[in-house]
Amino acid sequence: MTDHQWTELAAPYALGALDREERARFETHLADCAVCRAEVRSLREVAVLLAESAPAATPPAALRERVLREASRVRPIGARRPGRAPWLAAAACLLLALGLGYAYLRERAEQERTVRSLAASRDTIAARDSLVATLLSPDAGTAALAATGQAPSARVTWSPSRHRVVMAVFRLPPAPVGRTYQLWAIAKGKPVSIGIFNTSPDGRLVAEMPLPVDLKFELTAVTEEPAGGSPQPTMQPFLVGKVSPAD
Amino acid sequence: MRKNRTDANFEAVPDDQQVKAGVPDRALVERMAAGEERALGALYDRHGRMAYALALAIVREGADAEEVVADAFGQVWRSATQYDAGRGSVAGWLATITRTRALDLVRARGRRTRAVERAAQADPDGLATPLGTPADRADRQIERHEAQHLVTRSLAELTEPQRRVIELAYFGGLSQSEIAAELQEPLGTVKTRMRAAMEKLRGSLAPLLVGGSS
Repeated sequence: MTDHQWTELAAPYALGALDREERARFETHLADCAVCRAEVRSLREVAVLLAESAPAATPPAALRERVLREASRVRPIGARRPGRAPWLAAAACLLLALGLGYAYLRERAEQERTVRSLAASRDTIAARDSLVATLLSPDAGTAALAATGQAPSARVTWSPSRHRVVMAVFRLPPAPVGRTYQLWAIAKGKPVSIGIFNTSPDGRLVAEMPLPVDLKFELTAVTEEPAGGSPQPTMQPFLVGKVSPAD
Repeated sequence: MRKNRTDANFEAVPDDQQVKAGVPDRALVERMAAGEERALGALYDRHGRMAYALALAIVREGADAEEVVADAFGQVWRSATQYDAGRGSVAGWLATITRTRALDLVRARGRRTRAVERAAQADPDGLATPLGTPADRADRQIERHEAQHLVTRSLAELTEPQRRVIELAYFGGLSQSEIAAELQEPLGTVKTRMRAAMEKLRGSLAPLLVGGSS
C-alpha cells in the first residue's frame, strides 16, 4: 500500500467505519506514521462535532438526579482523599506524574518494538506457510539428489499448481566467497535455472524458489557458479536427481 | 422527524452558578477528579442535553437514552483523573463516550439505529434536517448553539448521498462495507463519498477546530 492509500483510511477510521481487519492493519501503520496520526487527530475532531447535529431533545428532569446519584456511589479512579496535607498530595502527584510519564514512554517504545517484531514474525510465518503448502500440495513431485562424489545430498519438492520449488540440502558446506550454488531443472536435456542458493555454516538449507510455469523436466541438478549465478551451468553438476513425479 | 426538531420545547438551563460563572469545562473535570460531585452536576447542566440528544438519535428509546447518558456521565466521573486535555475538548470526550455506549446498547439489543432506519426509508428530504436557527432557542449557551448551527449547516451543504454515508457511519455505527450493503452501492463509491464528505466538513467546520489545520 502506498502512503497515499494509507492516508485515505484516516477518514473512515476517525468515523469508526473501518472493518475489523482493516482497522487492525491501519493501527499497525499508525504506530509508524506521524502523517497519518496527524490526519486522524484532525478528522477525529470533525467526527466528534457531528454529535451536535443530533436532533434536539430535552432530557427528563429526573435524569440529572440519576446521574448524580450513580456518581455518589463511586469515587473517581485515583481521586485525592480530602484532608491530607496538600504538599504531600502535590509531591505524590509529581512523583506519580514522573513515574507515569516514564512508564508511558517505556510502554510506548515497547509497543513499537512489539509491532515491528510482530510484522517480522508475520513475514516469516507467511514464508513458512507457503513452503509447507508447496510440500503438501497434492501435485507435488520430488527428486532426491544424491552426491556424485561424497557427503552432500538434497531433496527437491515442487508443486506445478503453486509454481514453487522447495529445496532441502544437507551436509553441503557453504560456497566459497564469490561463488554460489545454483539449482537447475533439465528439460529435454536443456538446463533451466531455478535459482541460486547457499547453505548455512552447518551445511544445511531449506528454501522455496519460484518454478517457471509449465516447465516439464526429467532431472534436477546443482552446480557451483560465480556469485549471482550463470545463464548456463559452467561445470558438471555435483548433485543430480531424477524426477519421481506425483501420481 | 422534522416536527420533533422544530417543536422541541427548549427548557432553560438550570440556573446553576457554575454554568453562569464561565468556568472552563476542563476546570470542572479537574474538580471532578478531586471528587467534587457539584462539578459533575455543572458538567451535566452544560452538556447533558447534547449527550441525551446524541444518545436518543442512536438508541431511539427515551429510556435507553437515559441509561446511556447515566452510564456515560458515570464513566466520565470515574475516569475524570485520566482526562487528557491534549486529546480534545471535554464535550468531545463526553460525546465519544456517549456514542460508543449508545452503539454498544443498540448492538446488544440487535436493533437498527435511527440513522439506518432512515436510510432504509430513503427519505428524500435527507437525514440531516436543519435544527432551526439559534433564535429559536431560549437557551443561554449561545456559543454551543453557534457550534450546533454551524455543524448542521455544514452537513446541509454536503450532497445528499455524502450526508447519508456520514450519518450511517456516525449515528448508525456502520462500517463502510455495511453502508455499501445498506445503500446497495459499490463499496468504492461509499469510500469516495465518505472521504470527500469529511474533507468538506473539515473545511466548513474549521472555525470550531483547534488543532487540526493541515
